[in-house]
Amino acid sequence: MLTLGEYIRLYFLIETQYIKGQMQYRADFLISSIGMFFSSLATLSIFVVLFNSIPSLAGWSLMEMVFIYAFYMIAISPMQILFDAVWFLRMKVQSGEFVKYYFRPMNIMFYFMSERFDIKGLTQLAAGIVLLVYASIQLDLVWSVGKILILFLAVFSASLVLISIAVMAGSSAFWVVNSYPVLALAWKVREFAPYPITIFDGVFRFAFTFILPIGFIAFYPAQFFLRPAEISPLFYVTPFIGLGLFALTYKIWELGVNSWTGTGS
Amino acid sequence: MRGYLAFMRGAMLVGVVYRLGFLFTILGNIVYMIIAYFLWRSIYAGKETLNGLTFDQALLYIALGSTIFILLKTYTDWGMAEEIRSGTISVYLTKPIDYQLYNLFGTIGFASTTILTVTLPTVIMLLFVFRIHFALGWGYLFFPVSLILAFIINFNLDYAVGLSAFYTESIWGISTTKEIIVSVLSGALLPLQFFPAAVQQVLMVLPFQAMFFTPLMMVTKPDQQAGVFLQMLVVQALWAAVTYAASRLFYNQAIKVLRVAGG
Repeated sequence: MLTLGEYIRLYFLIETQYIKGQMQYRADFLISSIGMFFSSLATLSIFVVLFNSIPSLAGWSLMEMVFIYAFYMIAISPMQILFDAVWFLRMKVQSGEFVKYYFRPMNIMFYFMSERFDIKGLTQLAAGIVLLVYASIQLDLVWSVGKILILFLAVFSASLVLISIAVMAGSSAFWVVNSYPVLALAWKVREFAPYPITIFDGVFRFAFTFILPIGFIAFYPAQFFLRPAEISPLFYVTPFIGLGLFALTYKIWELGVNSWTGTGS
Repeated sequence: MRGYLAFMRGAMLVGVVYRLGFLFTILGNIVYMIIAYFLWRSIYAGKETLNGLTFDQALLYIALGSTIFILLKTYTDWGMAEEIRSGTISVYLTKPIDYQLYNLFGTIGFASTTILTVTLPTVIMLLFVFRIHFALGWGYLFFPVSLILAFIINFNLDYAVGLSAFYTESIWGISTTKEIIVSVLSGALLPLQFFPAAVQQVLMVLPFQAMFFTPLMMVTKPDQQAGVFLQMLVVQALWAAVTYAASRLFYNQAIKVLRVAGG
């Protein structure tokens, strides 16, 4: 088995080759980056237009919503950049090409995910950081070294939740082959992560916190920086939810990898 | 003509293969409607109307809008891009087939399975589970025609995006950008009444409102005069014709750069 250092070196090697390969679609890369930027802008413009008609949403102001959304954009970037291959699992499983991942002396998930590196996701990450700084200036938020460290931890945990949801949905390909509808469903639901979870009541708030845990993607973590006084105890469990979900996801992935019988080709 | 109907039938059969997929699409739409219900409840926060729409109307607009969004998402552009990239397009070019009509009929076939498996169950659910109140009026008579015209405009745009694969080979960027522009500017995500007056005026002269806002208004505010709806249909028909002509012109240009390696 390889050491962590060897994995990191390998990752850089694979990514360099991948990026070289992608450069043959230069026009698409350029348009994709612009598209990524516009897609971030789209939700933002919906917020701005909506807040023309209402003073606040469940007690949250426009700028607070912008902050939560910026946090969400940053948290989604690791999924977008490093785990984009999950969208292509179904094709490799269907064609049987997935069999090649079994024959290398390294972790299968690592090998599979390393085959794509989504450069355009960096546009989203940059836009998210700019927006987060802008919103926190507008909101007069006070930052300290400790708070910035907590921000990193919160982003890390939220990213794990997102990665877990997507990889879990994608892994269904091992059983149902065409995992696109499952992935599309997961992707649709996570679009609502930047909205305050307090708009739901009763059974649905419980569901979106614990069953489809979209609350942990942006709202619970961002609350800590916006309104530390009324923070939910759920903020403190975010890292555990993230790690726990990822561990569960990895188990499901392994189960899929082990039960997949190939296509016989 | 009979040949094109065969393409339509073929696309329908392909659609039915992924039965499990429909289940997830329906489930996704249900989750979306639940979230939309709570979101719009807190947007209204007890207010009777916002920008001339009641809560019931806004919810119907959003829920039906998402259902039409699924109906219009036929992946025509993706299929075309794959045919162009791999070179299979040459199969159709060497036969006496019009490439645009071939794609149109395939898209109709795909959409017909969506109507039966996703659209109808969703509408039934809107009626009986969410108990949305449907007002009576002329609008319903015009709605089917309006939806067909919206479908054609959407197809023409998709077709043009697919053709761009002649130049870029991969269309992720163009397709995503198109989808975002359409969903914001067409009123698919937010009724156009919520936009500032000046922006509304601009949006009304663009083709995108004819894809979502127009058919959705016929159902959310069906009790207007028939003349109003007739005028809406004329605008839609105009856009359908313009986008059809434009995408055909684009095809004549794009086909010139095609190079298929080998056979």
